[in-house]
Amino acid sequence: MTAYVVRRVLWGVALLLIVSFLTFAIFYLFPSADPAALRAGRSATPQLIAQIRHQLGLDKPFYDQYWIYVKGIVLHFDLGFSYQNDEAVRTQIRSRLPATISLAAGAFAVWIAVGIPTGVISAIRPRTLLDRLSMGGALVAISAPVYWLGLVALFLFAKGTGKLQWFGGAGSYVPLTEDPGQWLSSLVLPWFVLAAAFAAFYARMTRANMIETMSEDYIRTARAKGLPERRVILRHALRGALTPILTIAGLDIGLLLGGAVLTETVFNIPGVGRFAYDSIINSDLPSIQGTVLFGAFFIILANLVVDVLYAVLDPRIRY
Amino acid sequence: MKRPHHQGGNIMRPALAAGIAALALAAAGCGGSGSLKSGSSGSAQKGGTITVLSAGDVDQIDPGQMYYSFSYEIGYATQRPLFAYKPDSVDTVPDLAVAKPVVSKDGKTFTVKLRRGVRFSPPVNRPVTSADVKYAIERGFASSVANGYVTTYFDDLVGAPKQATSGVPGIPGIQTPDKHTIVFKLKRPSGVFQGALGMLITAPVPPEYARQFDSKTTSDYGTHQVATGPYMIQNSSAGKLTGYQPGRRILLVRNPNWNPSTTLRPAFADQIVFREGFQHPTVLTRMILNGDADANGDTPPPPAELRSITGNPSEKDQLTFTLEGGARYISLNTAKPPFDNKFVRMAVAYALDRNALRLTRGGPIDGRIATHFIDPSFSDKGFVQAGGSGFDPFATPDHSGDLRKAREMLQKAGFANGKYSGPGLTQVADNTPPGSDTARVVASNLARIGMRVRTISVTHATMFTRFCNVPKQEPNICPNVGWIADFHEPQALLDATFNGKNIVPVNNSNWPQLNDPRINALMARAETIVDPQQRFAAWARIDQLVTKTAVAIPWLWETFPTLFSSNVTKVPELWNLGAPDVTFMEVTG
Repeated sequence: MTAYVVRRVLWGVALLLIVSFLTFAIFYLFPSADPAALRAGRSATPQLIAQIRHQLGLDKPFYDQYWIYVKGIVLHFDLGFSYQNDEAVRTQIRSRLPATISLAAGAFAVWIAVGIPTGVISAIRPRTLLDRLSMGGALVAISAPVYWLGLVALFLFAKGTGKLQWFGGAGSYVPLTEDPGQWLSSLVLPWFVLAAAFAAFYARMTRANMIETMSEDYIRTARAKGLPERRVILRHALRGALTPILTIAGLDIGLLLGGAVLTETVFNIPGVGRFAYDSIINSDLPSIQGTVLFGAFFIILANLVVDVLYAVLDPRIRY
Repeated sequence: MKRPHHQGGNIMRPALAAGIAALALAAAGCGGSGSLKSGSSGSAQKGGTITVLSAGDVDQIDPGQMYYSFSYEIGYATQRPLFAYKPDSVDTVPDLAVAKPVVSKDGKTFTVKLRRGVRFSPPVNRPVTSADVKYAIERGFASSVANGYVTTYFDDLVGAPKQATSGVPGIPGIQTPDKHTIVFKLKRPSGVFQGALGMLITAPVPPEYARQFDSKTTSDYGTHQVATGPYMIQNSSAGKLTGYQPGRRILLVRNPNWNPSTTLRPAFADQIVFREGFQHPTVLTRMILNGDADANGDTPPPPAELRSITGNPSEKDQLTFTLEGGARYISLNTAKPPFDNKFVRMAVAYALDRNALRLTRGGPIDGRIATHFIDPSFSDKGFVQAGGSGFDPFATPDHSGDLRKAREMLQKAGFANGKYSGPGLTQVADNTPPGSDTARVVASNLARIGMRVRTISVTHATMFTRFCNVPKQEPNICPNVGWIADFHEPQALLDATFNGKNIVPVNNSNWPQLNDPRINALMARAETIVDPQQRFAAWARIDQLVTKTAVAIPWLWETFPTLFSSNVTKVPELWNLGAPDVTFMEVTG
């Protein structure tokens, strides 16, 4: 097991290098704005732009720039400085991390808490009205884009913009340590918006897996032993149905971070996702790189954790 | 100055934070009604907090680098340049200066007397002297500061460096005979120098404090700045800004060293908060209407909201519109065929349906259809008397285009049947509305005279910095460009955009690459005319000549809306595209 984890960590590092290289390459190969010209302003002379280009190191060959960047990360964990405001990217990500963790963790909790029970209930009552309503609702939630759903939530339920001013609206986020009540109020809508599609998808997947599991021999055996139905469902059927779901959950953490970019933008939450959005708008390569690496790191980490948990959940699996 | 870049901003100039220039503006038909209820209405109310919402951040936090409109909202509240603006005027008035500059007879020496009793905010605390203004301008030439406009407006100073220097240079053309006098010596007379003295680069910077920051490769004086205005960005006792969180919030608090008797700004509110990151203009608009915030900073209400607000008796008074500022236009690249041919360009001018173009940005609510480049806001400067107003060399019925005339022009250009039959054309446009819609209208209009236009869609910033601003990469057509003056001088509208001497390999703003010796010569002469009446007449003539070349087809003089909550007095800055003047607003609710 230890050898496996070490191997996976090394692969993760290699993957991060590949991701960083691809981000660099995409920035240079595809038409993107010129950071030096953006920073110089519209009246700047070509000489001034050249000077800024030099200061930012943008006049060096592509491979030199990449090497300096990688060296900075490996030796000093230095993600560089924003072209936009000269702040260290590492500092900016760190200062925005609590907001993103608050959003992602809450959304994950909502998605699991809503998606899996809904799937279980639908599975044990297939083809009933409850099942059809749940699955129909799930289809709507899967189809609704996060950006649109966010605006609908703001115009229906948010203070300042909504018809029913129940929860905090755009820009209302405050850190948990500053005001827990306001923190909670500001995140309720973003949590549900971000979790909606995931919860719906997991409800459908749980339902399908559960229905399949419920027809397995060992479920029949459990029932024949006289176990209560509740125990059969929760201890036997659900456990079997959850294993594949857990695998996909690891991958979905990455998608969750993608959704966080949109959710943080719509709800004006000052997290890493909105930082990524602003960086792309401003062609701020160091910040784009930093946020992409941040996302990739967490996807790799989540996959590793899931693989380990997989072995815990299913004793047949050994690495 | 400039405004935002958001929501399909397009005009080349503002933008920013986001980067590039734009005239985002949705806006307003009531053509410049703008109820400018400046300042207090009788009994002034002191205290309270004003909240301004914006989508993006300032382009720079250092006052020596600030350029775009939103930055000036903060810069003018915290800094005191030599000259500044009252919100209801487009002309500067003395701020740190005591009076207008005394200009020598030859127009080459400007002498400015400074006000006494102005002090820097903590931790510097000492009185401001002329040496601080001299240092502020000089540091703009240093590569660590790299001010973007200093070489445009201050390069006529005697001894001014031609390019950024490795340290802060001494400029012999800026002299300080005593602590309260500063003298500017120019190499030639300048018609725009006085306007440039109202830019934030003339706001004093204490050298003994700033040098430690300016000596770095990239100065971080911006995050350690001291203020001279009524407000300061909240800072620590050591001077490090604590009230600036990039992309999130800028908090202005009162400057304890501010002396109200020395200033033109009443500064009613105790605190001003700029909340950033409101990317959706409808959300921002609704929050202001509901009183959760007090004004829009860099992003105007979208056209649909504007129409809704103007149609709602209980809301319409919360909206103001400025006069038109600058023009949007379709730029035709004259450096390569077919637009090196005047008649082909004129055919385009006749073929374009300017009404359809205006509809892409909201229709009449957005402003009047432009027929030349100097906008009607200049009408009080003798521009009308000079024959500028109402001039339209390519008039068509209802501005909807005239295909018959377009075909006549094409015949004159050598296309016998009046249909263009040359190679296909390329335009580079915004990849989001409204710029992408404008490009679509251009392509369909030109298809009517046989021009097949391929559209390359990219981000707004990419469109400028990789294509339209780079002559080597420039397509035949740049449909999403426009220009707003840095200050209210026609030279600031026409020189960068149509003077042949300003065609440069990168960051080029002369998009048509117009290099007409006659026009260039007229501009060279007009630049040195100091008398305002003569200067305006000269630029009015240039405007007519440029328009007649059809190198660029103006189609919109845009107006700028600003929305205020019912909790504050409405004070839009006429000179700054309607941006809220937080130093004149009162909290009433």
